[in-house]
Formats: sequence, C-alpha cells, structure tokens
Amino acid sequence: MTAQTLREARNEAAESAKRTEKIDFKMISFSLAGKEYGVDIMNVKEIAKAGRFTYVPNASPFVRGVYNLRGEIISVIDLRIFFHLPAERKEEEALESLIILRIDEHVFGVIVDAIDKVVGIASSSIQPPHPIFGDINVKYIQGIVENSGKLYIILDVEKIFAPERTEDQPKTAAREPVVTEGVPDPDRDVSASFIKETLAAFRGFHVTGLNEDWFSRRFAEWKAMRKNSDLQLKEASEADQFLEGFASPCTGVLWEDDYASEVEKAMPIIESKTLNIWNPGCGKGYETWALACILRKRYPEARVKVWANDSDLLAISMAPNMVFSENVPGYYQSFMVQGRNGLVFSQAVRDSIFFEFHDVLNANTLPPLDMVICRDMLSFMSPSDQERLSSVFNEKLKPNGMVFCGANESLGEGWVAAGTGAVTAFRKDR
Amino acid sequence: MRVEYINPFVEAAFNVLREVLQSDVKRGELYLKSTSMPVMGVAAIVGLAGDVEGRVLFDMDRATALKIASAMNNEELKDFDDLVKATITELANMITAQAVTKLHDLGFSFDLTPPAIFTGENMEISNADVEALIVPMETGHGKIEINVAVRERG
Repeated sequence: MTAQTLREARNEAAESAKRTEKIDFKMISFSLAGKEYGVDIMNVKEIAKAGRFTYVPNASPFVRGVYNLRGEIISVIDLRIFFHLPAERKEEEALESLIILRIDEHVFGVIVDAIDKVVGIASSSIQPPHPIFGDINVKYIQGIVENSGKLYIILDVEKIFAPERTEDQPKTAAREPVVTEGVPDPDRDVSASFIKETLAAFRGFHVTGLNEDWFSRRFAEWKAMRKNSDLQLKEASEADQFLEGFASPCTGVLWEDDYASEVEKAMPIIESKTLNIWNPGCGKGYETWALACILRKRYPEARVKVWANDSDLLAISMAPNMVFSENVPGYYQSFMVQGRNGLVFSQAVRDSIFFEFHDVLNANTLPPLDMVICRDMLSFMSPSDQERLSSVFNEKLKPNGMVFCGANESLGEGWVAAGTGAVTAFRKDR
Repeated sequence: MRVEYINPFVEAAFNVLREVLQSDVKRGELYLKSTSMPVMGVAAIVGLAGDVEGRVLFDMDRATALKIASAMNNEELKDFDDLVKATITELANMITAQAVTKLHDLGFSFDLTPPAIFTGENMEISNADVEALIVPMETGHGKIEINVAVRERG
C-alpha cells in the first residue's frame, strides 16, 4: 500500500468517524472477481506484493504454494480459486496482491485481485449475510456492510482457515430438525402424523419439506382408497404399499430410452473440459451406468468422472462388474461390447466411474462438482441428515451446478427448479 | 473406498492369517467408520501411496499379539519383547503386501511404507475426516481388526 492510499484510508476513516459516532470495526477491503470484500483488520498482519511462490506438489488446487516472508515460510492460498471465482493467471514473474493473515498462531498469505484500503465502520451496521450475495458460501461470510455507497462482504477468515472441526457437525444437526419437523400436517390430520411416524419407523422414510407435496397428495389418495377408515400402517408391508409410486422412474434398472433422453436434455451446457459428477446412493449401480453413457453422449469432448457410492456393501460390490443380456435399451447399445458372459460396458465408460463403498454421512472428499445425481436417497435419511447433505451439495457444487433428485422430491431454499418433464432437477441459486 | 480395493484386502488378510496360524479364521461383517477409535493395545500401521493415499492399521490386544507371535514362531513367548513386535510387524507387512500384489494384478499401483508398531494402554486413533473400512477377523488366538483407509489421489 502506498503512502497515498494510507492517507486516503485515514481520511476515509476520519470522514466516516464524523458520520457515525462509533467506529469500532476496521477492515481491509479488496476485490475478487469485481466484487468488494473485507476482512477484519485484527486478522491482517500486513499486505504485500509477491510472486514466484514455491509450488507444493499434491496440495489442493487453491494452494498456490509457499512463500518466504522474511524468513518465515507461509502458505499462499488463492482466494479466487478457493471460491471457484474466475482468476486471471498472471505471468510467471508477475506479482500478486497478497494479504497476510494471522489466525491464532498461523500465518497465511491470501491472493486477491486488488487490495483497496482500510475502511472503518460501526460494527452495529454490519448486517447478517444473505444467500443473495452468494458467489461464496454463506457460512464463510461474517456479514454485509455498506460504506460510502459501496457494499462490502465481510469474510469470516477464521471460519475459512480454521481446521474443520467435526464436533461442529452434530451441533448443527441437532439444531436443524426444528425447522423441518415444524411443517404443518396436511388437513391437520392426526392420522397423517401417525403415518409419518410409522413410515420413519418401518422404512426410515422421513417426511420433510423435501417430499411434503408428494406426501399430501399420497395421503389424500390413501384416504380415498381406504375410504377414510383404517388409515394406519400396521406393518412394514403397508408402509411399502403407502410408498408405492414414490420411487423415481426406472429405479433399479437401466434407465429406459425416453427417460435417458430427457435427462440428457435437462443437463446444462458446460464448457469445462473435465466434468465431476457425484452419484451418492447409487445402489446396485444401474443408474450410474446409465448416467455415464448419457454424460458421454451429452459431453463427448469432456473428460467425465463419476463418483458413485453406496453404504450397502452387497449392492455396491456387484456394481463394477455388471453383465447384461441382449435386451438392453437402445440408448446404451453403442456403449457396450460383447464380453465373455454377455454384454458389458466399454472400457471408456468403465474408466469414467469410481464405485465406492462409502457412507455419505462421513466426510466426502470430492473435487468441485458439476452435477449431483441423488434420486430418492435424501427422503430415506433423518431430517437433520437431509439438511446436512443438501448443504454438502451446495458447498461442493460449482456455481450453476445442478442436483438431479427424485421425481417426488424438491429442494428448498437456495435452489432453483431446473427440471423438465419427468426429470426433477435444481440449480444452485447464485 | 473404491469397491475394487475391498476384496484384495479381505482375501489377503484371510489367506495370510490362515496360513501363518494354521488354524481356522472367521471374517466378521465389514463396516465403515469415521469416528476416532480406541486401539486395543497393539497397532501396526502400514502407509499406502501411489494411485491412492491412505493407510492400513492392524489392531489387536496384547494377549492376542503374544499368542499370534507364539504361533508364528512355534514357541511359547511370554514377554512382549522385540521378537513379538517384529513378528506382528511382519504379519502386517505380509498381509498388506499380498493385498497390494492382488491390486497390482487388477491394474492399480500402490506403494507401501515399512510398517510401524505402536503399543500402549488407552490409545486412540483419530483422523476423523477419513472414512475407514473395518475388517474384523476372528482367529483362534483372538480378534484382529484391520482398518483400511484409502482414498483416490485428487
């Protein structure tokens, strides 16, 4: 920062001091992809221009390397890549704007587009983050503040750089069910809430905002079918009967031609040359194979990787070596070759899929995703786990990323409907 | 963990244990775990690198370790001495190496680090953000838990 900008900063601070009585919060402002951000000055050690960082092999993509700051080795993080924002790649020798942050004892360098000045504000004028500012996940935003006509997003650097503590997760999980379980019963019917409970007990199916619409419709049907008497589900088979019609099209089989084409049509235009797709709860893997073929057809130029996982060991262990008889839907025939025991998918399709024995409630180590295909899995998880996973989806997806969910499921806040016809899909709200 | 990796580890553990102990070995139900876990008393750890990164941990209590080492050396060992430690280390090495060989035949290339052994009371392993596959093995000399955590190199 030059002397001039420092002086300006001071003037600025003095000015705003006149306007608002109490300036008790100062931040360094900077820009990322054309937007203004701020970080608490208490976390900032200094600012610098630096380049030629020492590359660290096998580090995450947002780690640009390490830098020798007067004898102290600090890691340098590119905040634009961290938040999946466009970052211009400067020439080898060029200097980057670096904010040196100190969090507890740790010192980090953070690369931003440009560093602006010091802004003084009253902490009472900081407003809570709102999803509308969301190039950046809300959980990393401390608040929003307006100062001399500019809107600053204050980043919570302690959250960004603090090591992820797993104890935090159960805490949030414990807090969240209140929201989802507070959904009013259709018709305020006692039997509806009984049915909800029995569905959860027999089949682990939880009625929440995710599938409330379907439940209300189905409950009305159920009442008509049972002529309003004997509505309760007394055993597991009755729960299954109630859940009939919930499953998405082509569950447990290779997707039929019509459905496959519809999914293909619903997929967004993606310019990136590598596509990362996540297919949690893939079961026996039929849906993953279908998906891999559709992806190859829709994005013939791209390098596609599908992470498919399920926590049912028996189902998933069959998935990689699936063999088919002659009557597979026409859509897939060009992707199949004759194997020893029947038709199998070609090596190219095979290589694009990772089948994993994995529980999605444990840590999910995935690269930034273009799409998530998760049909009818969330409904069979507890309300708090549903919340947790949909926020995992939100966090892992790139901007404009899509989630394909079950035909009778709908994601709530933070998602925009993007499905067509039989395909239910949601786009991450920016 | 990739489905293809599971069987080589299970088979290798089963084969090696049955061979070196010359007795019946039963495999328990496989499951996933990601919380921190107590170590029974003796833990041998082998690191994996290559296409993947991770580690295999062999966990058993002291009495089991002594009995297994006795069986493998064909003599009654009473103290938990260097010979016992070396024997358990070797067992870990044999199982992991056989699994890695099987994986290599399937086209996955893994490297392994020399095993290290940890002993003590009330130990706990916590790398909570890593999901591990647990393969419990019931041998005639006691229980061994094989804890495999590997993930693809991003």
